[in-house]
Amino acid sequence: MKKILALILVLCMVPFMAACGGGGDQGASDGGDGEVTTLKLWCIATESDANRPAYLQAIEDYEAAHPNVKIEMEAFENESYKTKIKAAMSGGSSEDLPDIFFTWGGAFLGDFVDAGKVVCLDDVYKNNYTEDQIPSVMLNNSTYDGKHYGVPTTFNIVAMFANMDLLKQAGWDKVPETYEELTKCCDDLVAAGIIPFGCAGSETWCVTEYLEPIILKSIGYEDLGKIFAGEATWNDPDIAKSVNTMQEMIDKGYFDPSGVALGNDEVKANFLAGKTAFYQNGSWNTGEVAAADFESAVAMFPVMNAERSTPNCAIGGPSDHLAVCADSPNADLAAEVAVALGKEICHYNYLNAVGLPAWTPDYDTSSLEPLMVDIGNIVNQCEGLVLFGDTAMSADPAQIYLDYVAKVYGKEIDGQGFIDGLTKDLQ
Amino acid sequence: MNKMYSNKWYIIIFLLPALILFCGVLIAPIGASGYFSFFDWNGFTEKTFIGFSNYKELFTSDSIGFMKALGNSLLLAVLSVFLQLPLALALALVLGKKIKGERAFLSVYFMPVLISTVVIGQLWLKIYNPDYGVLNVALRAVGLDNLTHIWLGEKATALGAVFVPILWQYVGYHMLLLYAGVKSVPPELREAAMLDGASDGQVNRYIVLPYIKPIIKISVIFAVTGSLKSFDLIYVLTNGGPLHATEVPSTLMISMLFLRNRYGMGSTIAVLLIILCFAFALLINLVFREED
Repeated sequence: MKKILALILVLCMVPFMAACGGGGDQGASDGGDGEVTTLKLWCIATESDANRPAYLQAIEDYEAAHPNVKIEMEAFENESYKTKIKAAMSGGSSEDLPDIFFTWGGAFLGDFVDAGKVVCLDDVYKNNYTEDQIPSVMLNNSTYDGKHYGVPTTFNIVAMFANMDLLKQAGWDKVPETYEELTKCCDDLVAAGIIPFGCAGSETWCVTEYLEPIILKSIGYEDLGKIFAGEATWNDPDIAKSVNTMQEMIDKGYFDPSGVALGNDEVKANFLAGKTAFYQNGSWNTGEVAAADFESAVAMFPVMNAERSTPNCAIGGPSDHLAVCADSPNADLAAEVAVALGKEICHYNYLNAVGLPAWTPDYDTSSLEPLMVDIGNIVNQCEGLVLFGDTAMSADPAQIYLDYVAKVYGKEIDGQGFIDGLTKDLQ
Repeated sequence: MNKMYSNKWYIIIFLLPALILFCGVLIAPIGASGYFSFFDWNGFTEKTFIGFSNYKELFTSDSIGFMKALGNSLLLAVLSVFLQLPLALALALVLGKKIKGERAFLSVYFMPVLISTVVIGQLWLKIYNPDYGVLNVALRAVGLDNLTHIWLGEKATALGAVFVPILWQYVGYHMLLLYAGVKSVPPELREAAMLDGASDGQVNRYIVLPYIKPIIKISVIFAVTGSLKSFDLIYVLTNGGPLHATEVPSTLMISMLFLRNRYGMGSTIAVLLIILCFAFALLINLVFREED
């Protein structure tokens, strides 16, 4: 009896031991004739993300045209995605990794490329697409050592959206074009009991959407581009002056004081609900602003220092990309799918007023949202673009930079402290 | 059966799955963290051995701010021991007296422990919202406008505002542990004391508390190590902000690992957290042993 009991107990252990063992190959099929190959796509197009309709439509179109390919899209919230993709890339096996993944260009993708985790897409571009379809300048942010590793899915700049109904209440029937006009307009808005700007302090990238255009319009795109690229130091008195200007704007009550504790969604909701007059953020918000219950307009932050900057420059560029994991068992197919999908996402994003086209439009654009057309006109006049600072810099310096930006918004340091600190910590 | 227990092969076989799990899930990652803490590594490319440089930088760098984060955790530990546990103990003692609706109260107090931390975080985010949050609305309603704050956005109030839900959430947890202890006190001990004319307070002080001392010790260890490891609610409410005012070692570790791509430094923080938790657990054991 005792032996039987012991045998039963040992047998009971078998399923537990088996559970500890490795699973069999459960990946996608290798795409033989008639077989459906499933590709995993990770992105940040969650239900609340403006890019989602474009992703869903592009996937639907691709699957309809290619019945032997199935694309499984999994969307994650922006911040948690950064953690997830880095964790998967640093330690994951091919089963844990997606075949195609969303990535920001610049240093974010660059870290994965350096580690040999990303497929080079040169052959796909060379064999299937022309310079007319995808201008090489649009691939700059995903090009490393002359090789292309990403597919731009959109093109965005930082834009200053305005609620014209509120501006009219303060006696303004146009968006201010100079800094003097902007301060006068903000004073009038404050006097009328209207908060000019909202800025989400709990998400520091939102603060950079204000600070970077101010710095850009003070020192020009060439100098700012060099600083972000690590080719010049932050030790520039005009940057200190820009920071002080932003803090003066905070002191004068131009910013919603509640904003320091709010996230971007809440600040945007406040603008869309008519609580603030301006919202300076990415042009991916164009569709939502255009759909709001007020007359809207778009402009750029005005020039602060005409000796060094021109009005015709902006923060932004093709930042959002798709890339292909080098560990994907179907890497060749995934590369073709990623480029085709990226092109179509770009197409639908443009029509949905979620971003400008990185790919040259080869479709009817007559029904475009007028606000999107206005942003397109702004970009057409641009002489230079500077990629978002936290995207242009690699992870460690970018985070140090964001820490200093947060300190500026929290008024823990002034302009001099900002340039001194960054010069010291990012030397 | 006794023969089976005395056979060391049976014991080894039955312990092996648990031992493999324990080593694989707990010991191996600790060892790996210790190993990575000696490298400068971004998680993807080649590692560079740098000895104890990460440890040195952690304690000296202003831009990392580890000492401030550790100070916040220790403050939370102090508040947990001297605020949360006394409250939990008081509730346990009251509920242990077979009051009417004992079960209902027990369930209500324990409920926050069962609710997902993310849900609790969202709930408190709404409570603290500077515009429509119930806290500011209530203060304005009673004419205390000057006491309204941007609770999670101001450096002066953020840490306190984050600690309140953490302490609130786990009162029920400690209460349940202590309640089980209070209920295990033999009724005859209480009755004997009562017959001798002891008051409720005296019974609690001289009978119940000494009896449940081992459970109090466990609660203190859980409260202190839990405070050192605290992460989830802070991550949801402020993610360490504003301006690192609510930073704790765990949020700093995540920031190092996944925002700054400094896997070596993140591993260093992990190792220090483990050492600190062990050290505090041993210290608390020692304190309680000396009292005995």
